[in-house]
Amino acid sequence: MKRALAFLLLATTVVAACGGNVAASPTPSATASATATAKPIQVGLVTDVGGLNDKSFNQAANTGRLNAEKDFGLKTSVIESKKQEDYVPNLTTFAQQNYDLVIAVGFLMQNAAWKVAKQFPNVKFAIIDGAPANDAGNTENLPNVANLFFKEQEAGYLVGVIAATMAKNMVGKATHNTVCSMGGIPIPPVDHYIAGYQDAIKTISPTTTILNGYSNDFVDQQKGKEVGLNHISKGCDILFQVAGGSGLGYIAAAKEKGVYAIGVDVDQIDVAPGTVITSAMKRVDKAVYDTSNAVKSGSFKAGDNFFSATNDGIAFGKLDPVVPADAKAAADKALADIKSGAIKPKTDLTVK
Amino acid sequence: MASEPQATPTGPATAPSVRQPTAQWARGPAVPVASVVFALAIGAIFVLLSGHDPIAAYIDLFRGAFGSPYDITETLIQTIPLVLAGLAVAVAFRTGLFNIGAESQLLIGAVAAGAVGARFADLPGFVLFPMVLAAGIGAGAGWAAIAGYLKAARGVNEVITTIMQNYIVVFVMHWLLQNGPMTAPNALGTPASAPIGAGAVLPIIIPNELVPLTRLHAGIFLAIAAVVVFWFLLWRTPLGYELRAVGLGARAAAQAGIDPRTRIVIAMAIAGGFAGLAGMIQVTGVFHRVFDGFSSGYGFDAIAVALLGKNSPIGIALAALLFGAFARGGSIMQANAGVSAQLVSVIEAVVLFVIAAELIVRVLTARRRERKPLEAIA
Repeated sequence: MKRALAFLLLATTVVAACGGNVAASPTPSATASATATAKPIQVGLVTDVGGLNDKSFNQAANTGRLNAEKDFGLKTSVIESKKQEDYVPNLTTFAQQNYDLVIAVGFLMQNAAWKVAKQFPNVKFAIIDGAPANDAGNTENLPNVANLFFKEQEAGYLVGVIAATMAKNMVGKATHNTVCSMGGIPIPPVDHYIAGYQDAIKTISPTTTILNGYSNDFVDQQKGKEVGLNHISKGCDILFQVAGGSGLGYIAAAKEKGVYAIGVDVDQIDVAPGTVITSAMKRVDKAVYDTSNAVKSGSFKAGDNFFSATNDGIAFGKLDPVVPADAKAAADKALADIKSGAIKPKTDLTVK
Repeated sequence: MASEPQATPTGPATAPSVRQPTAQWARGPAVPVASVVFALAIGAIFVLLSGHDPIAAYIDLFRGAFGSPYDITETLIQTIPLVLAGLAVAVAFRTGLFNIGAESQLLIGAVAAGAVGARFADLPGFVLFPMVLAAGIGAGAGWAAIAGYLKAARGVNEVITTIMQNYIVVFVMHWLLQNGPMTAPNALGTPASAPIGAGAVLPIIIPNELVPLTRLHAGIFLAIAAVVVFWFLLWRTPLGYELRAVGLGARAAAQAGIDPRTRIVIAMAIAGGFAGLAGMIQVTGVFHRVFDGFSSGYGFDAIAVALLGKNSPIGIALAALLFGAFARGGSIMQANAGVSAQLVSVIEAVVLFVIAAELIVRVLTARRRERKPLEAIA
């Protein structure tokens, strides 16, 4: 009896709650659209499961959002996705609130962004590192989605110049004339970095031995460390990681064995001072900043948008004191040459 | 809503629990409700410390979870796996077992459902769906029964085995889905399986004209059915009586002719079946495929859900709804009020802390009560 009563209570409460809300819902959306013309440009950012403090591209994207808010007088918000299944509702939340631009951080959201962008043709979307992908997994450009890509090979080339110069001249602990790299999973953005890196080394120091490996993971540090220790045992003394969290294990191996490492995506010099000598950076913050500005100024462009040396979308990070002046000068020159088009870094791996 | 049922059931609190185990769940909605209120108060302090208005944050939290029909359906989508995984933990609790493996049981159910759904994708729905359903439930049940068997036959602590099973499934999934036998060649940028056949997909139950874009799927009916099955099984069948008897005292049950060992295996299998169903529903209702990193801890949240719900059917449903609302509302709160969604984790942790503290007190007082009559006999 008591149980039946409780069930009844629950049922009535739920029904009442639903009924009340169905009736109430049109009002807020109506007011929202009425004020839509007067309000400032709204930009919503949805992180992937890495979260805001991932010391990588989610964090960089958020920096770009905050800078854009400050510089362009926008109204911006962020939602951290806790689970992959949150991608669709989180993107939908911003779209339903008539945001002008909704940014999905990371290629993991390609399918979610495709789903939501199709439902909201009047809202602009941007995907960092990705393009809308339909349920079959095929890329399908949409008229309201900007695909923000980076020329990772250019950033890889810049740090490759530094690594090659140091290996060739046997600077500091780099005594074996052998440099290595490790990717997470062999997907295009990862291999582009490594291809540029290898291209620079082959060009500047053809005698240097190059090794490459994969941790097959973007999270597990232990797997990255195993690959790193293996590389070091083969004589590597400069290790370039392109493997997210797993790559931190690769850097840890370098630190443990007293050799050098190169960070990726963001400036990772602080991850292991004295071990990390520089970083291959893609300026996700700049992509978010520029795309927000483009929406405000009406120059938003759907489809592929490339961030490269030309528009300061890629760079190399802060340098450790061990990096000699000639290596820095060579990297600066390479950056200028890439900008002018004199150097076009490869996108295919030299050493698999 | 929460305060109303609180008044009536506290009445029989003084009744001896052993003779009236049915009433046990009803004894104390006071503690769970108080723990939630307390946790919200602690959460408010953190909101204040972070420089925001707690009232506004909680209004946004509530609005995010229930503010529109779309929000309600999203909250329910979050609630469904929590209910089922909560039942998986509760069945074991009722039998005196601590099932920390709901996570792996859910995952293996999802893998099995995804594998069958993709392998036989061309079959018509009336054949394929029962197959996928059986695969999900069966895989979860079989997997959990291993832990039950080890406990029954070898006396291996189920806490240890179920935790270890979690790792096994996570790494097997890495293998299956990252360049393994289940990996789809074109997998949306993330290691994933091929999509399941259309016949296995749970339909969206609310028409798009009523609630645009809603994803609420028929899995909610399966979840409700599971709650009813849980109640009926435990309180209306001889098996349920035996399970609860083993849970209240395995030695006493053995004296009464109930072999605890077989009941332990059966209880774990049932628990795994509920969790496997949760995984199967996530595959057929939400994702339509399996991918690596599929669940982010439903099996662990489920422990909190079962404890907060006092292992009772309605309690679990309500606790799961609360946690589902937190999950959904937290995102919106972050978007609108600027308060980090991590606040929700703080609140959940405090709830769990209070419940656990109460549990410790109860176990200690129960021990003392048990000892007294024994001493009296001696």
